[in-house]
Amino acid sequence: MNTVDEILDYAIDQEQQAADFYADLAGRAEKAGMKDILLEFAAEEQRHKERLLAVKTGEHELTPEQEVLDLKISDYLVEVETTDDISYQDALIVAMKRERAAYELYSDMAARIPESNLREVFVGLAREEAKHKLFFESEYDERVLVDN
Amino acid sequence: MNLKDLLSPFFVWQRAFEKPYTTLRPTIDRPGAPAYRGFHINVSEECVGCGSCHAICQNQAIDMVAVEEFAGRKADSGLRPRFDYGRCCWCGLCVDICTAGSLRMSNEYAWITEDPTEFHFTAGVDDKPWQNNELGYRRAEGYHLYPPKRIEMDMLSPDESVQSFEEVARGYSEEQARKEADRCVECGICVATCPAHMDVPDYIHSIRDGDYEKGLQLMYRTNPFPATCGRICTRRCESVCPVGILGEPVAIRWLKRFIVDQVDAQDYQRILNDRISESGHRVAIIGAGPGGLSAAYYLRKNGHAVTVFEAHEAGGGMLRYGVPSYRLPDDDLDKDIDYIVSLGVDIRYNTRIGKDIDFEQLLADYDAVFLSTGLSVPSNMRIQGEQHARVLSGLQVLADVASGRDPGIGSQVAVIGGGNVAMDAARVSRRLGADVTLLYRRRIADMPADTEEIHESQEEGCHFVPQAIPVEIIAADNPQQVSIKWGEAEMVPDPKGGRPRPVLQEDRMHTDTYDCIISAIGQGSDLDFLSKEIQEQLAIEWGKFTPAEYQQSALKKIFVGGDVANRTADAISAIEDGHHAARGIERLLNPDKFTAK
Repeated sequence: MNTVDEILDYAIDQEQQAADFYADLAGRAEKAGMKDILLEFAAEEQRHKERLLAVKTGEHELTPEQEVLDLKISDYLVEVETTDDISYQDALIVAMKRERAAYELYSDMAARIPESNLREVFVGLAREEAKHKLFFESEYDERVLVDN
Repeated sequence: MNLKDLLSPFFVWQRAFEKPYTTLRPTIDRPGAPAYRGFHINVSEECVGCGSCHAICQNQAIDMVAVEEFAGRKADSGLRPRFDYGRCCWCGLCVDICTAGSLRMSNEYAWITEDPTEFHFTAGVDDKPWQNNELGYRRAEGYHLYPPKRIEMDMLSPDESVQSFEEVARGYSEEQARKEADRCVECGICVATCPAHMDVPDYIHSIRDGDYEKGLQLMYRTNPFPATCGRICTRRCESVCPVGILGEPVAIRWLKRFIVDQVDAQDYQRILNDRISESGHRVAIIGAGPGGLSAAYYLRKNGHAVTVFEAHEAGGGMLRYGVPSYRLPDDDLDKDIDYIVSLGVDIRYNTRIGKDIDFEQLLADYDAVFLSTGLSVPSNMRIQGEQHARVLSGLQVLADVASGRDPGIGSQVAVIGGGNVAMDAARVSRRLGADVTLLYRRRIADMPADTEEIHESQEEGCHFVPQAIPVEIIAADNPQQVSIKWGEAEMVPDPKGGRPRPVLQEDRMHTDTYDCIISAIGQGSDLDFLSKEIQEQLAIEWGKFTPAEYQQSALKKIFVGGDVANRTADAISAIEDGHHAARGIERLLNPDKFTAK
């Protein structure tokens, strides 16, 4: 990945893969109501993809430089398996972990290259993923950690 | 007529040029005294429309009228006082009784108009020049027509209470109950707020009259669990009681308990006199908790044959297996359940749908089915090491204690969570002789548990550690113990404007060792007894049903209610869900009764 477009294409592809992942899981979900939730997750990833497509065409800018709140919820949760009878709690953990991995990937890449336009793109993508992570962590905070 | 008589009227005209003896517009120079009882002022924003002014007015000069601006406001009837100055005698009793302190009197006393209908006005709503007068009659500070403080319930001291599972609240004496009942202004705002819409003012009135049988009859109209709710209700009624604005709300829950405690269970049949005429319809209910049994009671009253399927060996659901006996003794829960059963409700205990009987079979065999299976599956923390044998579930600990089993908690216990299950697990642990530390992610003020439970837990010696986030469970050197690693949290504002969120501070970690860790962070539903096909047809979001009107699901024979179908997840909401579903099932089974003729 040597150009801004290549990086954005990669990120767009990742969002599409995430959307496909949730759509596939929704098709197999056995627990009551999980299908709709997973399709909502897939739609959320589609929105991320569309946002990046808009960045690529210049219609939109990546998240401006500002601190994105990190609730650090997913950081200390165990990995869960994406089985057909996945629960609400585990589906959110999967989503949080995926966003966290993407955030760390872009942050890591930004740290490895010298100050440049490309680096700014990685930093911007990392912030985008941090926002996505915050979205799912806030959901987890509200819906799962009800009494905690 | 002589000449003098003829001219005298003209002589009077000379008076027109003399200084007059009367004063033009006297009030311009003569304002009312500073505490004068003049025209009424009502601060409408502070008023809750309780109608105490209307009730006390001896001249019937005050009507309560609907004001659109205040319609639908929480803890507000949406009514405001309308004064008739053709009747008012400016005695000031309305000001003295005003529960919100919103009603006052200005020192304005002159109002000149040619339209007499203007003297009929809604204070604080109709624009009047004296509305913002600083002077006039105000109720003296500290002066109340009713005692602002409630009659204290006699409670076991914290030292006594942790010694046993004996009920902590001892109940009102007759004298105490009547004094407390006298504080009720009978506004009825509580009725609108109670999920079951219990007729609170009238059953409190029955205490004043000493007619407890009538009180019991009134309660059973909308709630067949009065002995239970008189002890553990979340009492939303009290949160809106207008007497609580300037003082303490009426102790509605304790008064309800008082009435039930005055009536022997053996007299229920005679007093309630529920006569049943068989309808020929059969209804199945899954779950013998408050939702299921409330539905059973009202369905049975309508003459339907009701069969309740219950997985446990006794009825009550979370009331029996989740609420410890020091808050709700089994005898009192059974007083409610036994009466429902006495009407001919058939409860099949130890029968789990999906295992012992297929749900589809039930659906085929009965005319309607009501699902009220509760939230029975404890949520996991999903942190490293959670599978450790010394990590127990709060629900399991409570169920063990309720069933007379030793949960084996040891003497040093950590409880994780801030809900009612966490509080009960902590208090039960204290009664089993353990030192208890309770860890909670957020602040004590954020705890979803009942404030009374939080207070009593602390009084009984549970040590609270707020803003503590568990991150890992670690095996201790002693296999009978377990360690927990937790970090301190800072509360940060939510970027989207929600409540502050706790953020782990990774530089402030702690590790502590206990004999066991009781996890009580929440619970979810178990709907595995429903086939995938049926689940897909029912509206389910985040593990809960989302019923339509009358608790009816998308499958018209299936009705749902209780914790598995509402957001509040408390007994009184489940009871109302059951009652509501019974009305819905009645409409399904006997549609002709509801068709306009």
